[in-house]
Order: sequence, then structure tokens, then C-alpha cells
Amino acid sequence: ADHQVQQKLAQLDEEKIYTLVLELLNPSLREQALLDLSKKREQYEDLALVLWYSYGVMSVLLQEIVSVYPMLTPPTLNGVTSNRVCNALALLQCVANHNETRTLFLHAHIPLYLYPFLNTTSKTRPFEYLRLTSLGVIGALVKNDNPEVISFLLSTEIIPLCLRIMETGSELSKTVAIFIVQKILLDETGLYYICQTYERFYAVATVLHTMVNQLVETQAIRLLKHVIRCYLRLSDNPRAREALRQCLPEPLRDTTFHAVLKDDGATRRCLGQLLINLSDGSMN
Amino acid sequence: APLDMIGKSTDPNAMLQASGLDAGVGLEEQLSLPNIAPYLVFNPQIILYSNQPASKRWVLQAITQSIREIIEPVVERSVAIAAVSTRELIAKDFAVESDENKMRNAAHLMAQNLAGSLAMVTCKEPLRLSMATNLHAIFMANGLTDTMAEQAVLITVSDNLDLVCAVIEKVAMEKVTAEIDDLLMNAYASRKKHREQAPGQAYFDMDIFAMTRYPSSLPEPLRAKPSGLQPAQLRVYEDFARISRTAPQAGMQTPIENERTPQMSRPDAPFSYGYNAAGAGPMSGNANYDAAGTPVQQHQATAHQILERFTQ
Repeated sequence: ADHQVQQKLAQLDEEKIYTLVLELLNPSLREQALLDLSKKREQYEDLALVLWYSYGVMSVLLQEIVSVYPMLTPPTLNGVTSNRVCNALALLQCVANHNETRTLFLHAHIPLYLYPFLNTTSKTRPFEYLRLTSLGVIGALVKNDNPEVISFLLSTEIIPLCLRIMETGSELSKTVAIFIVQKILLDETGLYYICQTYERFYAVATVLHTMVNQLVETQAIRLLKHVIRCYLRLSDNPRAREALRQCLPEPLRDTTFHAVLKDDGATRRCLGQLLINLSDGSMN
Repeated sequence: APLDMIGKSTDPNAMLQASGLDAGVGLEEQLSLPNIAPYLVFNPQIILYSNQPASKRWVLQAITQSIREIIEPVVERSVAIAAVSTRELIAKDFAVESDENKMRNAAHLMAQNLAGSLAMVTCKEPLRLSMATNLHAIFMANGLTDTMAEQAVLITVSDNLDLVCAVIEKVAMEKVTAEIDDLLMNAYASRKKHREQAPGQAYFDMDIFAMTRYPSSLPEPLRAKPSGLQPAQLRVYEDFARISRTAPQAGMQTPIENERTPQMSRPDAPFSYGYNAAGAGPMSGNANYDAAGTPVQQHQATAHQILERFTQ
């Protein structure tokens, strides 16, 4: 009996999801449906498939995105509008995250519509939230180590957008942005791409250096972990390794971060490996 | 000459090139730019315009130059992205619609709105900077003092920016219409053929249905009926025509406030493509990163040493 009750509840939930998805098509019900669906998105595994394959839903979500563009320059986006578009982005994140919709999402070039959001610089809350949520969609794409995602991202301007956020964003945004860059670096093509020209390497190394200097002050360990892993991965490339021998920031070589890394053996080992990679004579 | 540089800057966006847009063909030869001269605003606050009517020609010249600098990469990128998104989503949503005219109408509305929106959001800042630079240069070349030029530039840019953005938006919308028809040519043709060969019978785009098991398991209201799309469903695409692409409360911002924004964004020469007209693409080998104002200056000495190794 218990089982039957559960099944009945699951069916009701599913029907509720279908109703909400249908309401997305109605402009007057859409705002509430976006909110309700984005809250429920974790509960229903196949929501991504329903969103993608239901008539008109993806087009409606794109409408929600581009209708915010006029509020970016000059920055006039308010909290209510930001929440609404962020709920739409949360649904796109769901589509980006699902194995059966991720490629379709890429092929339709939908991530590119988020770049104008990442390109904003206003420090107000509505804009911080918009950038963070947009980064979340890209983060969901790269999370699964899919080479097709990396080659898509490399063909676009995501790296400079992430680099700027790594330099000037809030701590949370910085963490998602560096996570994306780290995932790109971990891919063979990504590492090759970034180390292919000096300018690209230098752009990444410069921002990492700035972050290290900031971390000396803030001691934010979550960010430090990513910074160290990015440097370690760069050191896998012979030319980048050569360059890092001269430009690895001093605080990573001395005892500056010893205390903060005391309880994080994995990151300490990464840092140790990085220093070994860079020590003269160990390579070639 | 500046157009040649822009033509190269689309790399490494191979995907966008694959959509059929040839970066090598000059857009200006394909499209006639609207004549903006009658629409330019000459603010009476600037006495130069009444004292020296020839100065209006300088303004037209400077602004036209800005449009030429920026329009090609912005339109190319916006059109390429919008056309691909439209093709993918329209093909999916119209898979059981047998009327190619409904499909074409929806595709046009969607592609035009997406391309126009992308063009607008991409071109506004670069255009503002370019107009300011070009106007300033032409005023100085014609003997204005720096202070006089500065003031005329601020007001003239602020008065005419929306007009110039609208020109670029319009060109993007026109170009994407042809582009999406090209991409959906076969889809239109197969619908027409189906109606002629099997009148009254339901249409299924087998390419779409072969790809996935999913749509058939959705409840009816969420998918398209084999009898064709309903008016309420078509409305989703008609709504693309209703989205505003202009800023709310336009004109609320003073030119001075507007002027602050560019300093906050820094050019991202090493990776960017598209509207960054002055910056060469990543493959250009141009080490102009210093000019872009890198924040960490203390590396410069070592940086140049290492650079030698990278360019070997």
C-alpha cells in the first residue's frame, strides 16, 4: 500500500511538472511557472528532456534571455527582473546538465546567449546574481568532462570572460569561473589551446598571479585549491612550464599558504608536485 | 584597410564559419547601408554646428567610419548564432507541421529578433567608444580645442548612439532572414513536396523523429499534434516580434555617466573574436597585449624574455 501511495504521489508530481511546463508558454503565467519549476528541478530527473522536447519551451527561454539585453547597458536591471531571468537560466542549466540534452543544447548555440550577461561589470546584486547563475550553466556543461563541450567553448570567447570574473568578481563567481577554466585546462585540447600562443598563456598566468596576490589577503582556501590545480596543470605543458619557472608567484614558493593548507593534504601534494615540475633539471 | 583586419578576426570560430558565412566576403558589398544623414541629431547646445555648418559633414564622416569599423564582425557573429539557434529549435518544434509558410514565418520572426538582440547588445559599447574616438579625431583635425572637442563628442555620441545601433540591428535582421531561409531550404521543400504528393496526410520530419524516442512519450498538450500546430502554439513564435530591443528609460542616463563604463571593461585581445574591431584575432601573432592594459605590470621584463621562447 505504501508503494502504491508513493507511485500515486510521483504521478501527481509528474502531472504538476507537465502543467507548469505548459504554463511557460503562456506569457501571463510564465513568471510564476519559471519560479516553481526552477524550485522543482532537482526533484524530477527527466525535467531536461521535458523542457527540450516540449513544443516552444526552449524558444520561450531564449525570449526570456534576450528580453533582458536592453537592461545591460546602461545597467538598469532590477532585482525582480534578475530573479526572473535567473529562474529561466536555472532551467537551461538543467538542460545543460543532462546527458541526453547537452549536445542538443550546444548544437543550438544556446550558451552564447549568456555571454552578454558574463560581459557585464556592474557590481549591484541583480548583476552579480545574473553572472553567477550564467556561470552555473557553463559550469554544468564542463562538469562532465565532455570533449565536445570543450571544443565548443574554445571556439567562443568564454576564456576572457571567465578571466575577467576571476579577477574582479565576487568570491562565489570567481570560484565558478576558475572551475570552468580548470576544466578547460584539464582537457588535452584545452591545455594545448591555452599554451599555443604566448598571449593566451600570459593572459591566464597574469590573472592567476593576481588571484594569488588577492589570496594572500583573503586566505580563501576554496579558491586557492583551484589556483594551485590550474598552475599544476599548466606545468604539464613544456613551454608553459618553462615560462612558469620565471613567473610563478612567490607566495606559492614560500610558506605563505602553509597554515591555510594544513588540513588539505591533496592540495598540498598538488603544490609540492608543481614545485617539483618547475625545479630545474627535473625535466627534459 | 581596417575592414581587412576585421575580416581576419573571426578565427578561431570554426563553428560559426561552418554555418555558411564566409568571413572573407565584405559585408558592405552585399548590403546597402541606410543613409543616416537625414536622421543625425545636431544638438543646438553645440554652437559649432550653427557657426560652421561644414562641421555636420565631419560628424557624418566620423560616424559612418565607426559603423564601417564595427558592423561586419557584429553582424556576422549575430547572424551566425541566431540562424543556427533558429534552425535547431524550429526544426524540432515544426517537425509535424506540414505548412512551410507557418514554419518560415516563425523562423523569420525568431531569427530576426535573436540576431537583432545579439547585434544590439554586442555593438553598443564598441560603437560608443569608436564614435567618441573618431569624432574627437575629426574635430581636432579641423582645429577645435581639446575642451571644445570633448564636449561636442559627449553630446553628439549620446544623441546619436541609438540611431547608429538601430542601423546595425536592421542590417543584422535583414541578413539573418536570407540566412535562415537558406538553412531551412530543404525543410520548406520537403513540406511542399509532401503536400503535393500526399495531400491531407500528416507530415513527420523523419530526421527529427529518428533521433530520439522522447517526444512521443510527452502528454499531448506539450507536443505538436499531427494535425498541425495550434494558434496558441504559433503565438510563441509571434511573440518574438513583440520583444523590445531598446533600453528602458532611454535618455535617463547622462552622457557623463555613460562615459564611465568603458574604463571598466578591458579589451580581451588574446582570445576574443567578433566585435573587438581594433584587436587582432588570437592567431594574428600580434603581441599587442601591453596596449590592452594588462593589470600586472611587474611581470613585463620577464614576460618579454619568455615571449621570445614562445615565438620561436
